[in-house]
Amino acid sequence: MGSLFSSSISLRKSVRITDEEFIQLRDFIYEKSGIFVDVRRKYLFESRFSKRLNELGLSSFADYIKYLKFDIRKAEELSTLFEMVTTNETSFCRDMKQLEAFQEIVLKEKLDEQRKAGKLELNIWSAGCSSGEEPYTLSILLHESLRMELPRWKISITAVDLSKDMVKRAQAGVYGDYAFKTTPEEIKEKYFLKDPQGWKVKPEVQKLVRFQQMNLNDTLALKRVARSHIVFCRNVIIYFDEAMKKKVVGRFYDNLMPGGYLMLGHSETLHKISQTFKPIYHPGTIVYKKEG
Amino acid sequence: MGTKSLDELKTGMVLSSDLKSSDGRLLFRAGTELEERHVELLKRVGVAEAEVEEERCELSEGLLRDIEDYVRDFFLYVNPDFEPAIQMFQIALDLTGYAVANGCKLPGVNERRASSVEHMEDLFLKGMGAPETIVKHETELTSFPDIYFRIREVLEDESASADRIAKVVSTDMSLSAKLIKLVNSPLYGFPQTIDSISRAVALVGAKELSTLALGISAINYFKDIPPELVDMKSFWRHSITCGIFGKIIAGTQAGLSPERFFIAGLLHDVGRLIMFKKLPYASTEAMLFARENSIPLVEAERSVMDFCHTDISLPLLKSWKFPEGLSNMINYHHNPMEFPNPLEPAIIHVADNLTNAVEIAQGGMYVLPGIDEQAWDLLGLKADSFLREAVDKHSEQIDTIMSAFF
Repeated sequence: MGSLFSSSISLRKSVRITDEEFIQLRDFIYEKSGIFVDVRRKYLFESRFSKRLNELGLSSFADYIKYLKFDIRKAEELSTLFEMVTTNETSFCRDMKQLEAFQEIVLKEKLDEQRKAGKLELNIWSAGCSSGEEPYTLSILLHESLRMELPRWKISITAVDLSKDMVKRAQAGVYGDYAFKTTPEEIKEKYFLKDPQGWKVKPEVQKLVRFQQMNLNDTLALKRVARSHIVFCRNVIIYFDEAMKKKVVGRFYDNLMPGGYLMLGHSETLHKISQTFKPIYHPGTIVYKKEG
Repeated sequence: MGTKSLDELKTGMVLSSDLKSSDGRLLFRAGTELEERHVELLKRVGVAEAEVEEERCELSEGLLRDIEDYVRDFFLYVNPDFEPAIQMFQIALDLTGYAVANGCKLPGVNERRASSVEHMEDLFLKGMGAPETIVKHETELTSFPDIYFRIREVLEDESASADRIAKVVSTDMSLSAKLIKLVNSPLYGFPQTIDSISRAVALVGAKELSTLALGISAINYFKDIPPELVDMKSFWRHSITCGIFGKIIAGTQAGLSPERFFIAGLLHDVGRLIMFKKLPYASTEAMLFARENSIPLVEAERSVMDFCHTDISLPLLKSWKFPEGLSNMINYHHNPMEFPNPLEPAIIHVADNLTNAVEIAQGGMYVLPGIDEQAWDLLGLKADSFLREAVDKHSEQIDTIMSAFF
């Protein structure tokens, strides 16, 4: 068969990265974010970053690394860099089984405890909230659990993400159909309003959530998060190496109040990472409790 | 393909089937490009209609660029300066270009995402089931087709006669029918029709035919795979394609029996089927993770589950006492150089990559897993001429071979 394409189309379109540059860039990303990039992703890296190098008018990765380290715009560039190394696949009510176990067991237990203690307040930390689907889902679950009782409660959901852009999108709270692929229709009807660009989360759901940009590798920033009853950190530590996983999970442990819970993504486990939490098994999920 | 009436027929159209007159006389063969004189003749003999190939629309510059970007995305993980990768890229470009010119649309982002599996539950949570445990759970529940063990016995018995082999295979009607279709397919290209198993044994060889029978009988084991996760027809098409390429590559190497490579290709991903069955949720997470991050599925499996489909096939094939050489090709197809004698797994490794490359035009989902450069060198093949020929041979064979199975 003849070809429709010119035989001069080359597969390489990107600026070449040397092994040394790759290691420098990888170490830089690791140092700044705790995200570990395997050497097998070298070519993937080349093509992902090449566009950015072109935009900046840089002709080599060595120049880009210099730019990241020394340019006056380095802080903004760091934010752009983070966009390029993380992906943000999420949806409302992702992992139903886990959320059911959360609502029926973990949340119920915590709410009862607080009622008994006469403290109608609850702090939840959503670490790695991406474009906001998870913290808004949690807010919806609280509305569903507390109903008429809700106005008497002081609920605070602190939602943080590495990416500034994601935080902005989360604050806007407008979502396309894809965000609802795992969401029951009645939840969508009840808590969202039709918007020209899709669906906008209702103000009462938004009210419980506060967003901020935060790097989970920034120990000082982590220490400033109010102590939580529950920490959600789903599909985040999968990007970290073991040392970083241990570090972040340790911070969560410190942040949680005694008796608090840590919820991880479906494919994440503290197996080999931490023995301080007590794993509790429920159908379809494991929840981790800080005993005390 | 479409049927056009006489007044719709124009010069330049290509016949997609042989055109016969009302009394059955062959007028023009399939593939004939109609010229003015052909159309005139058809009018004269009074042919009412003809089947012609879809007209190929001219692709605009913009569309060609879109196709190029689309195809390039599947090669993000491979070394863009490595000659076989470049050749596979060119092949994928051409195949995708033709598919689009023939009316296929490039899938959009949403179509390339997995469907919802929120209602499904994994039997093992992470950290709770090692590959051995998962496989044990499966093999205890589902028994293996009887015929498999009988063939294996014959295969292991050096003194088994061709006659006995033919007898054992013939006891299974459906298996025999598949084998007959297969040996009559272009995979073998025998000039005469083979109508019995004993004739097939004589022509293909006793050991070779038993190997084929063994591999094919194993397919029956995989039932009840959740359709939300995988379309079984696509899964086996991928497997058969890999088998065809495996056999073609093996044919270039001295002293190898090509049937074994067809079977290794056919079964190279069976570990994945067990994953779909036992860990549907985690498997979907892995598929999503692979697509979001533009990484091969095998790497996403390792990230999400801590093991991959070849870690599953290892204990699975062991429990079936599957022939060791075949098992090694399957278990090492992603890392052939880690096997002490890497040539055989290297063949399936390259076949798998080439399979992924040709599947881009058919709506494939995942980036090429990448070709180990040492593994490629072992084969001593010329990237430019060999890969094209292999792909051409494959496209002549695939449909007939698929129809032998489904």
